[in-house]
Amino acid sequence: MNSNQIISSADRVLVTGSNGFIGAKVVERLFEHGLTNIRCFVRPSSKLDRLQRVLTAHPAGKTVELVAGDLLVREDCQRAVAGVSVIYHLAAGIEKSFAGAFMNSALATRNLLDAFREHGKMARFVNVSSFAVYSNLNMARGALLEETCPLEESPQERNDAYCFGKLKQEQLVREYGRKYQVPYVILRPGAVFGPGKRALSGRVGIDTFGFFIHLGGRNQLPLTYVDNCADAIALAGLQPGVDGETFNVVDDDLLTSAEFLSAYKRKVNRFFSVPVPYFIARALCALWEDFSKRRQGQLPPVFNRRRCAAEWKGNRYTNRKLHEQLGWQPHVDMRTALAAFLAQYDTRLP
Amino acid sequence: MTAPAQIKVLRVAIIGCGKIADQHVQACRRLAGCQVVGVCDREPLMAQQLAERFGLDACFGDAAEMLRTVKPDVVHITTPPQSHFALGRQCLEAGCHVYLEKPFTVTAAEARELIELAGQRNLRLTAGHNLQFTLEMLAMRRLVAQGYLGGKPVHLESHFSYSLADASYVGPLLGNPRHWVRQLPGQLLHNILSHGIAKLCEFLADDLELVTASAHQSPQLRQLGGGEILDELRVLIRDAGGTTAFFCFSTQLKPGLNRLRICGPANSLTVDHASGSLWRHPNRSCKSYLTYWLPPLHDAREHFRNARLNFFNFLNGRLHQDSGLKELIGRFYESIRQAGPPPIPYREILLTARIMDEIFAQIYPAQAAPTPADGKPSTAPPAP
Repeated sequence: MNSNQIISSADRVLVTGSNGFIGAKVVERLFEHGLTNIRCFVRPSSKLDRLQRVLTAHPAGKTVELVAGDLLVREDCQRAVAGVSVIYHLAAGIEKSFAGAFMNSALATRNLLDAFREHGKMARFVNVSSFAVYSNLNMARGALLEETCPLEESPQERNDAYCFGKLKQEQLVREYGRKYQVPYVILRPGAVFGPGKRALSGRVGIDTFGFFIHLGGRNQLPLTYVDNCADAIALAGLQPGVDGETFNVVDDDLLTSAEFLSAYKRKVNRFFSVPVPYFIARALCALWEDFSKRRQGQLPPVFNRRRCAAEWKGNRYTNRKLHEQLGWQPHVDMRTALAAFLAQYDTRLP
Repeated sequence: MTAPAQIKVLRVAIIGCGKIADQHVQACRRLAGCQVVGVCDREPLMAQQLAERFGLDACFGDAAEMLRTVKPDVVHITTPPQSHFALGRQCLEAGCHVYLEKPFTVTAAEARELIELAGQRNLRLTAGHNLQFTLEMLAMRRLVAQGYLGGKPVHLESHFSYSLADASYVGPLLGNPRHWVRQLPGQLLHNILSHGIAKLCEFLADDLELVTASAHQSPQLRQLGGGEILDELRVLIRDAGGTTAFFCFSTQLKPGLNRLRICGPANSLTVDHASGSLWRHPNRSCKSYLTYWLPPLHDAREHFRNARLNFFNFLNGRLHQDSGLKELIGRFYESIRQAGPPPIPYREILLTARIMDEIFAQIYPAQAAPTPADGKPSTAPPAP
């Protein structure tokens, strides 16, 4: 245990979304940071495979407390945060509707923050957000996307419920920090990849129309390997002097979309893909968006200028702040990370 | 949307700002002669998020305050069903016409009371059975009115499928025994099956001689930890006129089946919601081996006709994702303006509620719905 941390090893921490793709890895990293009083919040219906694998692999796993509940129920939140010093809030619902995304992101976070104020020890609230909150609509192609860049102003126009939910969640966290002095850190991971998540990032391309359209071209991908991302999240709850800060989470030595797709094809499946340059993708998305507006949503605006820019315009990314202020170092280099991601295809889908 | 000068612009309010509320706001925006003037949710943040996304000024956390402040002509109630009766009554008492999302109320007794209250106050009610107003259902109704069936239906079949793969709905429901869906007398079924039952009620008489329901839990739901929830339902119904009906609700059929078949004494019809199609089944006999060739060719022609129709309806803008909802709301508003009959006859709303009461009493006997207000059983006991 590093003595230069805001809590001691015996202080209680809560991890929501602890059975998720990233959450289980965060629990693992917390063990490695020497924490011995971890509480994991899970849905009663969740299969706990990922989390159980982590708990059985670590001696400290036996001491972990599992609390089942629903973050939309205030009493469940109060039960979960009782005596907790640091909350790692990773829980995120998969919701296509804006109202559903808002409930799962913003309302759940509000309940958790209220419970933290009343029943917690309020050392820090680590809010895991997403790159989805940014808008690069008015940025040049290839411009550096960092923490100070503009946030999406019109998630409805972008038809992105997840973006809306995460934006509202961040707003609430900042509001509670300002109004109630809840110490917080916000993390915005890029495209998290690793074993356990088989799908290609939408930033590479889409297969909506029955064949794969490669839209990412030579864009740099904001990749972060799940173990590295989890380590950044774990550090965000422990490192002193970073209250109120926001961090983008991407790895070093980022790959381009073409490099990632090429490695994927070599290892997994040599499928047919059609490369579409950005200017054509943008024109098609603009046509779709205009048609959707003119026909009052007869075609849902799933393709539009804002989404096109956010996913396929292409930016450069930096993790300078993560290195400098959190002292984060990627434990897994990009070459090893890519190999581990692709190795999961050696086994057939369950 | 701007209304022509002669149409009275109806002031619309929405209570309940969850997932379905978006569709109501969008449908209203596509209709002439109405304006959403207020949204309300007992969770103020939910009302705020809806108002913000649609640029609405007035959002409230209290229904009484909203009714007082914005004085709507019509209120759409899109809350969980347990609150439909109380909110519906509150809105009627405030002088508003009411659109209640499905299921209309939790019990038939509540439905009857609301309908009586609306009648006393000369206000109108409708239920969110929007699937009855899709383009294919409207086409079916036109053919039935023209006498295509050749008389009263002999037999009806309604299939309604629902996929458990939709984790955003099923997940929270399974994870929380206090979830509002699990507090309904018919649980998961209660919140979904009124669409499929309502379609039958259009052709069934009020006097029912038989309602026999059988339900079980699918292996998939068991594996997901479904507890006491039932998700496979079969119902046999017979009315006093001898028309029989079969209803099947399933989470397991693949591909999902969402269909109504109406068998008449002369010809039959099938409405398929999944493909937006209406198939005519004429009673034509063919000699010898022609019976293996001509009927399939007729079916092929029907499919081609539907594909062509849907394509042109897409081009002319009639085929829309929510065409049923827009049509129902439009007809409801028109019935308010013209003081005409509501788009769904109250008889059908009540019959749907009575059949649902009976189904849930049989499949969840421990949570049986209370006896209707008139003291009579909602349906005759099953025949021996």
